[in-house]
Formats: sequence, C-alpha cells, structure tokens
Amino acid sequence: MSANLKDRTIVVTGATKGIGRATAAALTREGARVVATGRDRAAGEETRRRAEAAGSACLFIEHDVRDENGWETMFAAAEKQFGPVHGLVNNAGAFFVKPLADTSEADFDAIYETNVEGTFLGIREAFRWFKRSGTAGAIVNVSSLMGQVGFPNAVAYCATKGAITAMTKTAALEGAQMSPKVRVNSLHPGVIWTPMITDQFGDDPALQEAFAAETPLRMIGRPEYMADAILFLLGDDALLMTGAELTADGGRGAD
Amino acid sequence: MATATAELKGKTAIVTGGTRGIGRAIAERFLKAGANVVITGRDAKKGMTAAEELDRTSSHLRCVPADQARDADWSKVVDAALSGFGRLDILVANAGLSYPSPAIDITLHDFRAINAANLKGTFLGLKHATAAMRRHGEGGSIILLASIVGIIGSRNFLHYAASKGGVRLMAKAAALELGPEKIRVNSIHPGLVKTDMTERFDEKVYANAIPMGRFAQPSDIAGAALFLAGPRSQFVTGSQVVVDGGFTIQ
Repeated sequence: MSANLKDRTIVVTGATKGIGRATAAALTREGARVVATGRDRAAGEETRRRAEAAGSACLFIEHDVRDENGWETMFAAAEKQFGPVHGLVNNAGAFFVKPLADTSEADFDAIYETNVEGTFLGIREAFRWFKRSGTAGAIVNVSSLMGQVGFPNAVAYCATKGAITAMTKTAALEGAQMSPKVRVNSLHPGVIWTPMITDQFGDDPALQEAFAAETPLRMIGRPEYMADAILFLLGDDALLMTGAELTADGGRGAD
Repeated sequence: MATATAELKGKTAIVTGGTRGIGRAIAERFLKAGANVVITGRDAKKGMTAAEELDRTSSHLRCVPADQARDADWSKVVDAALSGFGRLDILVANAGLSYPSPAIDITLHDFRAINAANLKGTFLGLKHATAAMRRHGEGGSIILLASIVGIIGSRNFLHYAASKGGVRLMAKAAALELGPEKIRVNSIHPGLVKTDMTERFDEKVYANAIPMGRFAQPSDIAGAALFLAGPRSQFVTGSQVVVDGGFTIQ
C-alpha cells in the first residue's frame, strides 16, 4: 500500500462491526491514528483492540451519528487525543428490505435519520474542523450499489443511499473551493458479508454461495475489500478524485 | 401524434404543488389531454385561484390544500381523487422546497425541512398512490420530480441535493418493485426552469452555460410529464428523463 496515511488522524463512524471495524484496522496498519465511533461501547472497544493489534493507536468514542451535538464533542476529543483530523469515513448506516406498502413512516424516518442526516452532520462537522485547522481533508461517504441502481423492496434504503451519492457531489464542489482543498468521494459496496446483511437475511453459507453465484466475479464481498477502497480514496493516490463514485461490487452493477 | 390531445381521457391524476410553476403547467396540460386532475398546494387561497383559472367549469379539477410531508394530508388528497373521480391512475409528485446555503451553515432544522417536503413527501405520495392504483389493478404512472441536482452537484444546495438524489433512486427502486403490477415509476430532472424558485438566477448569465441557450419554460417540463403519464410511454419505467437543454451533457 502507498496510501500515505501515516500519522494522519481519521474518524470512522459505525466502526463497531463490519466495514467500519475492518477499515479501522486497515488504517492503523498503515500507521494512521484512528478514532472509531459507534453506539455499542463493548463492540467499539473490541474494534479498538483489534486495530491497535494491527498497528498504531486507536481511540473508541461512543457516538450516535444522529446526535447533532455529539459530533462536535467527538471531533474535539479526537483532536485533543491525536491532533487535527485529516479524514472522515461516514460509514454508519441502517438497512432493511421491505415492500413499499409495509414500510411505515416511522421505518422511513429511522433509516433516513441515520443514513442521510448522519452523513450530512458528518460532512458539515468535518468541513468546520478542516477549515479551522487548515487541513486538506478527505471525506469518504459509504453509499451503496443501491445508491446507483434500484433494488426491489428497498425504496427507503435506495432513497437514503441515493441521497448520499448526490450529497457527495455537492460537498465535493464546495470542498474544492475551500482552502486548503477538501476532497469528498463516495464508495458503493455491493453485497458485503457483514452483520448488516446477516441480520437481515441470516448468516447462512448457502446464501453466501448464492450471492457469489449471481456476482460476475463469483465472489462474496469482504469488509477488508471495502477497507482497501476507503484507504485509497482517503490517501494521496486519489488526489485528483473528488465527487467520484467508486463501485466495489464484484461486477453486480454492470450485470 | 394524432390522438395525443385526448391521451389521458378517463384518467385521474394527482399533481402536487399544482398551483404554480411546473406543477401548474403539468395540471394544465393534463386537463387539455382529457384527464381529471387533483392539484394540491399548501396555501388554500392560492389553490382556489389557480383552480378557477385552470378549469372554469370545475368539472375536471379539484384542489386540496395539503402539505405533502404529512401522511394524513396524503389520505385527504387520494380521497379527493377517489370520491371526485372514482379512481387514481397518475401521480405527479412535484411539490418541493429549495433555498441556498453553504453546507457548513445548513442547520439541521433546514436540512430536515427540505428533506421532509422533498424526500419523505415523495415517499408518502408513492405509498398512497400505489395503494389507490392497486384498487383497480390496471396499473398506473408515477412521476417523481427530481432535478439535475441529484445527478450532478450544485454548490450551496447540499440539503436539496440529498432530497433529489434520494428521489432519483426511490424512483428506480419503486419501478423494480411495482413493474409486475404495471405501475410505472419514472423521474424527471429539470435543469434551470423559469419559475419563482429560480428567480435568483439571472438567465442572461446562466443561459450561456446551457447548450440550448435558455432556461426551460414550465411547459417544457409539462411535455415530458404528459409523455410519461400516458400510453406513449407504456414501456418506460425506472427512467430518469433529463430536461435541461443539454446542461449536464457537457
């Protein structure tokens, strides 16, 4: 890897499991200082242990991305511990599959608040701290393949991920006008074998094989693959990339 | 097309935000094409005036004051279509809010207000309209007004971009889910259109960046909506129809 992330401070939301946890460990392996956030302290401390075993320092901060005031407190704690924040991975997300007719207003509000408002609050907070500290920061918003193409029985989820895809482009244009410049890109995972998927569909090896069989590369997504893509977007190998959509889905979207 | 003038005869449409701008142009076009139309607006008085101007006989038009971010209001709107005209065939979810702010200064309150109207309002409309269309089982056409913001970025419109990007994908997901029932769902993406919402943009300055050299008129958007509403687009679903004079192809 040549991601040039050594000694940079990176905040990763939703780092208590799945893609967020894998990203925390991949970052510490590259020598970055990681602030892992999430709602579950025990799981967050486990992420911290695994990340520190992989490399440099990691701090877990209990924070729910929907908590507006908590964002400022979290960034302040991150800066106090590790110095100015260089990057934010807006990874925390909620997911459900349900027919439109069965999706209640409360279902919609809940997924919207985590995925859309949570990402918005992250972008806004990171912009404020990058501006204050004069940091050429980078933001990676974890959208989804379902923020690029539709999926049946996923009107609410697709709406939230489409919102993230679109916010990324507007944030990229505004970030490009900041001094120093801030880059903002989106990552679009396909089916990644994480608790988000297994909580919805069950942790079934047969299902894993079925997903792989319908993926052009005949692979199931692993959180570590997403971590590699996130590190690429955060680092200096992607200096000309902003407002871009990076799809990492084994070819599902092309099929 | 020879039959185009009456292509919506016997159909009933809901057009939200139908009292002015794009929504009003769509309602006018649908009425001319023979449809019964229910328009909504947040301001009852403006709605009455618009309704009188659009349909002097009042036989094919109803106006319902409604806020599309409210679930209960959607029930009233759909009830007006069913009680007034017996069925629902077309929904145009057009009502929307927009105002500029740098991302760094957008309050959560404003972000939520725009997304409640544009994103959640569209979700609720999709849900209510689908339920009404299922009553007759003959399918229908749902048209969601998005924007070119949602495909490309737009400085100082992060909240609006979220809502319109969300609507863009909502249309695709719903199209996949509802296709087997012949309920088609498409999105329209206007660029700069001459309405109250774009008063702050000087056409002389911006028109240079548009290959067609002008802003859209609301009637340009209404033309696309009429196509998507009627039988000429019977095989079109999940499509994003960009009506921007070529702005985003550059």
